Amino acid sequence: MVKTTTEIWEDEWIPSACSICYNQCGIKVHRVNGVVVKIEGNPDSALGMGRLCPRGLAGIQMLYDPHRVNHPLRRTNPEKGIGVDPQWERISWDEALDIITERLSKIRQDNPHKLLFSGCVPSIAPLFVGLGVWRAAYGTANAFLSDGHQCGNAEHLLAGTLHAATTTNPDLAYCNYLLIFGCHVGFSGYYAYTTMAQRMAEARSRGMRVVVVDPMMNTAAEKADEWLPLLPGSDGALALAMLNLLLNEYGIYDAPYLREHTNATYLIGEDGLYVRDGASGKPIVWDAVSSMPRVFDDPLLKEPALEGSHKVGGQWVRTAFDMLRDSVREWTPEAAAAVTTLPADTIRRIAREFGEAARIGSTIVIDGKELPYRPAAVIYFKGAHGHDNAWGTSLAIELLAEVVGASNVPGSLMGCNPVNFGHPDTGMPHYQPTVDKDGMLVPGLWFGMSQPGTTPPPFPPRDPRKPRFLNLIDLVPWPISTFLPVITNTQPESFGIDYKAEALVNYGSNLVMSLGNPETTVNAFKDLFTVCINLWVDETAEALADIVLPDTCYLERLDPVPVWYHHHHPVGMGDWTCQIRQPIVPPAHERRHFSEVLLDLANRLDFLPDFQVMLNLFYGLKPPYALDPEAEYTWEEICDRIYKGWFGEKRGLEWFKEHGVLNWKKQVEEAYWKPFTHARGPIYFEWIEEKGRKIKKIVDELGLEDWDMSTFKALPHWRPCQALQPREGYDLQAIYYRVPFHTFSMTYENPWLDEVSRLTEPYSYFISINTETARRKGIKDGDEVWVESADAGRVRGQVKVVEGVHPQVVGIAHNGGHWARGMPFAKGKGVFFNALLALDLKHTDMVSFTMDCDARVKVYKT
Amino acid sequence: MRYVMVIDLKRCIGCYGCQIACKSENATPPGVFWARVLKQEAGKFPNVRRSSLPLLCMHCQDPACQQVCPTGATTKSDNGIVEVDSDECVGCRYCMMACPYGARYFNAKERSYFGQGLNEYEKVGYPNHPTGVVGKCDFCRHRLEKKLEPACVANCMARARYFGDVDDPNSEVSHLIREKRGQQLHPELGTDPSVYYLPA
Repeated sequence: MVKTTTEIWEDEWIPSACSICYNQCGIKVHRVNGVVVKIEGNPDSALGMGRLCPRGLAGIQMLYDPHRVNHPLRRTNPEKGIGVDPQWERISWDEALDIITERLSKIRQDNPHKLLFSGCVPSIAPLFVGLGVWRAAYGTANAFLSDGHQCGNAEHLLAGTLHAATTTNPDLAYCNYLLIFGCHVGFSGYYAYTTMAQRMAEARSRGMRVVVVDPMMNTAAEKADEWLPLLPGSDGALALAMLNLLLNEYGIYDAPYLREHTNATYLIGEDGLYVRDGASGKPIVWDAVSSMPRVFDDPLLKEPALEGSHKVGGQWVRTAFDMLRDSVREWTPEAAAAVTTLPADTIRRIAREFGEAARIGSTIVIDGKELPYRPAAVIYFKGAHGHDNAWGTSLAIELLAEVVGASNVPGSLMGCNPVNFGHPDTGMPHYQPTVDKDGMLVPGLWFGMSQPGTTPPPFPPRDPRKPRFLNLIDLVPWPISTFLPVITNTQPESFGIDYKAEALVNYGSNLVMSLGNPETTVNAFKDLFTVCINLWVDETAEALADIVLPDTCYLERLDPVPVWYHHHHPVGMGDWTCQIRQPIVPPAHERRHFSEVLLDLANRLDFLPDFQVMLNLFYGLKPPYALDPEAEYTWEEICDRIYKGWFGEKRGLEWFKEHGVLNWKKQVEEAYWKPFTHARGPIYFEWIEEKGRKIKKIVDELGLEDWDMSTFKALPHWRPCQALQPREGYDLQAIYYRVPFHTFSMTYENPWLDEVSRLTEPYSYFISINTETARRKGIKDGDEVWVESADAGRVRGQVKVVEGVHPQVVGIAHNGGHWARGMPFAKGKGVFFNALLALDLKHTDMVSFTMDCDARVKVYKT
Repeated sequence: MRYVMVIDLKRCIGCYGCQIACKSENATPPGVFWARVLKQEAGKFPNVRRSSLPLLCMHCQDPACQQVCPTGATTKSDNGIVEVDSDECVGCRYCMMACPYGARYFNAKERSYFGQGLNEYEKVGYPNHPTGVVGKCDFCRHRLEKKLEPACVANCMARARYFGDVDDPNSEVSHLIREKRGQQLHPELGTDPSVYYLPA
């Protein structure tokens, strides 16, 4: 709003893209006399369709935060650690880059893997120029995402293998029954939030039923038709009981789908692996018509048997489907009730409701194409899979969708845009899944914007090798992210690694707060030459950084294509949107765009040609727009080539600066791709079994006692996570939850969002404890308490006594309690949940490298 | 004509987007919320309901605030919008006591969010908020003049808000109030608010 009487010499609305979380919603920014006065959603963008979440609306206060870091800093105090004053000295960019170049150049000549590269997803566009492109060109494999426990490792692995995408989302346009496990889709954050919130409201208005499985009544449960408060980490038991009911009691499953689009009919030998044809090596199925084994794609195959045991090659073999059915039999509703604390009758009812809502056998016509119609969706995220039983739990939940055929068809659980035919004029960007020799689904793209990308997908899996990398991504070659350098860097020899990291480049992340217990992280990295590029001198910079570089925020920088189609673009029908992020105001002070710094550093470190080759791969650039490795470009020129390479000569950078958004219509074959392919998703993860044995051999050789191999299973299974196991004196589980008005810990520095928590919203800065539990402990509303973890630190906070949390659980929002001098506004606000999380192998699911994100705790008054 | 806002509590997700949309549109100073959300819970575990109630000035047709205003600073326009003329307001705050909905805020002195002088945004926005007077939601009158919806309506992520002329029986808001049984907040007070809520 501008009512001021000052002369107005400029009044512009500029299209761009948000970046206060990873969703990159389309925005229009109002600039008057050079000052940003309003941010609104861009109605032309499919990412948000003109609406923004509270965080996106509050971006102005990030831009004009007087506590931002404005010029490069050098640490003069050689001591590092939490609470230590780094005694910063202001230096010039040239000095800073000289120091960095000297260190990184030596490391690159010696062993480039001695550089750790870390970052966090809100600034996803420059992060991937760093993590996906620059890091690879430098030559280090030691990358990790330091959104740490917030990342969806197991979910991303299953999104990749079952849906050929990086993430999943329900198809709310057609869904009638939505079962949410530990996730706030459409209510608070999650992928494509601002668009999904609109679709969620519309779906609920037309009568879609929402059931929320969550220990705490948060934003999703508040709006749910039914809330199922279970114990944290027990979601897998609930899903297994539902699978058992559907498969063994109700007989509700989609046999044609299972035959055609999964490996349910593949025969499994006594060794737990596919039975393969001797000549071709292909998996074998049982032909029910000719009563004989045939390879799965034999043209003579009449009807592959879904069930039964057969004698093949001298051994009794069974279908994968039979093995699944048998494996879930132990999970009676009563068994799941004992673990989850939910009533067995409720579990029976929910399983039946979900199965019936899937309307197996029904079809729907969309744009003239008849498609399977399965208007029942499951969706799950960190609340369900953020435990050291992540793999078995996530697989159990995913298979609920698979067995009823509610996967990538109208109304169901969808991979996030795994098929992209590109703009009709140019066919760019382009990627689509393929089929491997076993008939299984292979993602068309993993890290990258258009084929080929820079990182191979998790499937087909590479063979495990004795670790050479601190993130162990060669030993377990499929997790998307890992916090493991925190463990391996203190004892590389235990993992058979013959070096320690010597440097850390940390972009836009506050890993001392975000990974877990901060002492563990500082201890692991305090000897590293550390460069932090961020908006503030945060806890990580204060404890670890030798050099701090002032970053631009999203309103000050140019990012080409700030949308990651198979990660956070809306699923289902609608428009594809490509947009721009452009500087609304020039970077103030000496702030510089990270992508430009990377270009500068690649040049100084003499690997500019490699960097530009990797950029070509990442964006799928081909001549004449591919970058010439030997030429030098400005960042603007690179962005121009990316746009022209994707959309033709007329739609370069200048076109996007003016128009902001380019839309084209999604085709049915893109949105609902599954019925149009022959690719199969696994219901039996044979390769986890097979590669697991190779990993076990290496782990045994290394003598890694805390490495739990029990979760490397082909079928869904459940064991309690660490925090769910009783411990003498520690009677509660602490969980963290997300609210719609904060991103991780970053937005605690935003005064408008702080004000929501502090003045108008009653829970998020408090520790929520159930009324009955509080009464038993003599704790009253407003009391100061300690929450003490059995395996890590303790945190202090004020209690909010509520009914909407499980009596055996305490709930803490996000991750507050900042202490850095450089974030004075955020200081002391909220509760620092992550101090409770132990960073060790024992609390980690070794299939997916997922941490247990809840903690066994006790609560007592200060 | 009479402007009304209809808020569909079934669609509302209690995200506080309206609170921040208002703040960023109107540059209201710290602690001032022309739009806000109340949360409350009811019941005993596990039979609990949590609910969100978005609030703003109700633009009552019989406004309690206007009755107590000693200077005539608070007026009701022909279109139903209740307004405060800051030139006439003497900051006595009787209206804040009288308003049953807690919709009014007193701007005692110039304050910045970060506590070290106004930042670039606040320098532009805060001169619109004279000190020593009472302010409140005006249904974004400056936006209505440009044929735009109030900021909280235009941005609502759940598309839970509707705005229009209730004197027009064919308007969307009239239909919604009739067909979905729109309710005013505290109708027993007889203030006849211009904000209607559709049941959750």
